[in-house]
Amino acid sequence: MTAIFANVKRLLASDKISYIITALVVLCATSSGDVVLSNGNYTWLLAAFTPFFFVFYDFTKLMHLGASKKDYYLGCLISYGFLAFCISLANTLIHLLIDPLYPAKTVINLMDVCKWTENGIVAAGFQQMFFLLLVMVSLHLLLSMQAHWYGWLTDAVLAAIICIFTPIAPLRGILAGFFQVVMLNGNAVVHIGVCLLLSAAFSLGGLAVLKRKTL
Amino acid sequence: MIELKQVTKQYGQAAVLKNITLSIDEPGIYCLLGRNGAGKTTLLKSIAGYQNITGGTIQVDGKAIATSTLDTGVSYIENFARHFNLPVRKLLRIASEVNPNYDYDFASEMMERFELDGKKKFHHLSLGMKTMVSTIICLASNKSVVLLDEPVLGFDAIMRVEFYDMLAESFQKHPRIIIVSTHIIEEIAKTIQKLIILDKGSVRFFDTLHSIESKAFSVSGLQKDVDAATQGLNVIGQDTVGGLATAYIFDDPPEQAASLEIHPLSLQDFFIQMVGHKGGTVR
Repeated sequence: MTAIFANVKRLLASDKISYIITALVVLCATSSGDVVLSNGNYTWLLAAFTPFFFVFYDFTKLMHLGASKKDYYLGCLISYGFLAFCISLANTLIHLLIDPLYPAKTVINLMDVCKWTENGIVAAGFQQMFFLLLVMVSLHLLLSMQAHWYGWLTDAVLAAIICIFTPIAPLRGILAGFFQVVMLNGNAVVHIGVCLLLSAAFSLGGLAVLKRKTL
Repeated sequence: MIELKQVTKQYGQAAVLKNITLSIDEPGIYCLLGRNGAGKTTLLKSIAGYQNITGGTIQVDGKAIATSTLDTGVSYIENFARHFNLPVRKLLRIASEVNPNYDYDFASEMMERFELDGKKKFHHLSLGMKTMVSTIICLASNKSVVLLDEPVLGFDAIMRVEFYDMLAESFQKHPRIIIVSTHIIEEIAKTIQKLIILDKGSVRFFDTLHSIESKAFSVSGLQKDVDAATQGLNVIGQDTVGGLATAYIFDDPPEQAASLEIHPLSLQDFFIQMVGHKGGTVR
């Protein structure tokens, strides 16, 4: 267990560039008019950046320090969970404490857009947390696959789905339905359940890719 | 314990490891010798589970090894290992945290002995010092199998002597299987127990140094006398200049005769004869 948390500590410590970029954007982003974007939305950038560092920067170095693949991967999952909690907490606090201070009439926070706040702020925070966990785990899987042919194939399939499904109305409905379930879901229990299930499935996928990873 | 059964590794059409069967069951310091491209790194990486083999099986302490093995119990280090750009002392500390059986005291002691500046960041070290840090991390891991790929690359003569001492001390403290791949044969001879010679992807030799001392000889003289004396013996190489010949044998030496000169082979000469090449040509 100690070795896993040592991996967590190192993974989080070497993610400094993600913290700095996210903090800069959150602190410096401005918008004007009657409708403005909440700066809390930009905390999500951390969830988008982090898997890049875990996959492309930390893996080889931790292996050369003698970490096992098992400890590295469990460390990654725990770190994603921890970061998802922190990002969600930060955005929720910004939404509660800073968004009301804007002089604008409407402040758009993704927690509202995704209908999560309809379930109360605590449930919304948890929905956001599990959604961000899903984002990080799926990104980790996608990035891990890039060294293999099936990674490129997955990229092509995803691009094709977006390009083909978007202009054709019935297919667009399917795509919209998917996002309704995993993101724009007002039902907290269903939403958290779906995010957890998909996160577990993608984690298993990530493990399968890690098992093929060479050094 | 390391057990390789009919291990083959192919990159496309090129076979790098050819049907290797090898069993290393006793703790000891083993030297892996081979020419450039003989397959040493491929073999070590395969044992470490860093890459998959094409055929056969590899087991370490009864556990099958492949990239899918999530915890191999093998510590492998290559000379250009990438590390976090952190101060050396911090790097050794992190290694102790991610390795459950890490010997931090040994690592610290070695850091002092090799006059590594603990505050200096890894990327600011010389090649030799970088290799030394990687080697210390690997040896201090205390895993049951330690694989060092060209660990003396970039070391000066004094560092090399210190390294061999460190290797011996580490082994005495924690007896385990340590395989060292190197090109500097004579220097490591005092430290190792057994020698593995790899040639063109096959194991050509696996035995103790004592067997080389007692069985490897050169026999020189007139061609006909040399041929007669070495008939039925295991001749591993031969040089002929005019009517004079030198046969290199790995066997009991022939009886001393006035017309023959019989000398023990140095480790380096034995290696050269075993791999069957000289000056880049196949003989």
